Amino acid sequence: MRRALSLRARLLFGALLWTAGLFILTAFLHSHVLSAHPALPRLFNRVFLSHTSLLGVVALVCMAAGLVQVRRGLVSFSDLRARLTAVRDGREPRLDGRYPGEVQPLVDELNALLADRDARVTRALAKAGDLAHGLKTPLAILAQEAERTGGRDGDVADTIGQQVERMRRQIDYHLAHARAAASTTDPAARCHVRVSVDGLVRTLLRLHDSRRLTIDVDVPADHEVRARREDLDEMLGNLLDNACKWAKARVVVASLVDGGGVAITIDDDGPGIEPSMREAVLGRGVRADEAAPGSGLGLAIVRDLAELYGGSVALDRSPAGGARATLRLPKGIVDSR
Amino acid sequence: MRVLVVEDERRLATELAAALRDAGYAVDCAEDGERADFLAQTERYDAVVLDLGLPRIDGLTILRRWRDAGLSMPVLVLTARGTWHEKVQGIDGGADDYVAKPFRIEEVLARVRALIRRSSGQASPELRCGEVTLDPRSARVTLAGRPVKLTSHEYRLLSYLMHHRDRVVPRVELSEHIYEHGSDRDSNTLEVFVARLRRKLGNAFIETVRGLGYRIGDRP
Repeated sequence: MRRALSLRARLLFGALLWTAGLFILTAFLHSHVLSAHPALPRLFNRVFLSHTSLLGVVALVCMAAGLVQVRRGLVSFSDLRARLTAVRDGREPRLDGRYPGEVQPLVDELNALLADRDARVTRALAKAGDLAHGLKTPLAILAQEAERTGGRDGDVADTIGQQVERMRRQIDYHLAHARAAASTTDPAARCHVRVSVDGLVRTLLRLHDSRRLTIDVDVPADHEVRARREDLDEMLGNLLDNACKWAKARVVVASLVDGGGVAITIDDDGPGIEPSMREAVLGRGVRADEAAPGSGLGLAIVRDLAELYGGSVALDRSPAGGARATLRLPKGIVDSR
Repeated sequence: MRVLVVEDERRLATELAAALRDAGYAVDCAEDGERADFLAQTERYDAVVLDLGLPRIDGLTILRRWRDAGLSMPVLVLTARGTWHEKVQGIDGGADDYVAKPFRIEEVLARVRALIRRSSGQASPELRCGEVTLDPRSARVTLAGRPVKLTSHEYRLLSYLMHHRDRVVPRVELSEHIYEHGSDRDSNTLEVFVARLRRKLGNAFIETVRGLGYRIGDRP
């Protein structure tokens, strides 16, 4: 396709044609007036010749002002482009600002398109969720039936049980993924680390009631990360739950701001993780210890979610003796509006 | 011990109820939120198994309503949505424990058992009182190490008394916790069960506190 002529060139060319026409018209009128009033040239000459420099300046100023006007008119396009980039990067939810009358309808259409896109994503996500959750109850029944017939045919029951468990993990994994993929571009996604941690600590203390664990929280109230609450809960919940499962008595959650991100560390006083196992534990569906309760997908989901948000998760040795998980996430963007 | 199962999927509800009855509980079932709310507000349960995805009123709303109304029975939440965010919401809404679908029946039974044990302040999984031992895990009762055969009503009655052995249990309370909804409750049959238990476990084991109710004796 032929590349369209630059807008600026077109505008200047238009101005040039306009000027030429005006010039011809002026010359035409000029000659008519001269023939009617022969005395005028002397008056013109006196005025024009005595103020040559001034007229030159006025002419240049007019031309410069014309260029500036064209430029200013065109600036709204580069501005629009910058804002669109911000929307695509997830820094802004929509196109804001006032634009010239010719551009504003375009901006309105773009905003409508963005809203439509968001609505579609939300709908698709809800459908994915419904599908996933709709499958869970039949799976539960299937597992129950297998369990019930377990006495008659143990092998079949075991196979069904294992496959149901695999399906459950697949559903959880892909659902978490879909949700995160849809929300990483959401600029409104900001969450106080402390709020998420506090809720999870309440929950985990209740769920691990019999263990008499202590969970210390050292997270300043103003630490914010760029993530949706659901996703931050999922990441921290898996890491904290894992720490609680392995800890002897104590889990410590702390966060600190470094550079453009927030690093959240979760320490436990359990047996720790062998250095050779650390990467594998964060891999898909790998279990550090088959005997450990819970699914091995937890940490893989954490890693994937963190990476989708431009962050990371790492396992290390804790000064407390056990394992340390460090979750790094970008800082929440401060709302400028 | 009496448990309410709130689950809209009939097949799953039936399975759960059957497994809980086998484990020695009196079980009522509700298929939707309204019915569950009605039963929980009018009957007395020792534990509730509550599915969150219910027709009409969702489980979380009902749970909050119960807690606002001051109902403190332990609630085990069942849900298809096993995310941590939902777990936090569930626990903050007043749930005591959480099982994600699909689950194993044994897991639900173990958690219900633990919830009932904790809410009645028992530390060990086995309840022991003199020479009588009741194991909720197997629903078995032994006297001096020998197994004692009990009917389901006798077992429920004994289990309730043993879970609350440090106090006198009024007859009304006892009947509220051992009969299923809609079953015929006659306080005479309660006395029949007590008499049978005394015959099997020793006369002094269940003490009648006149005008108040029953209490487990320290020495059979």
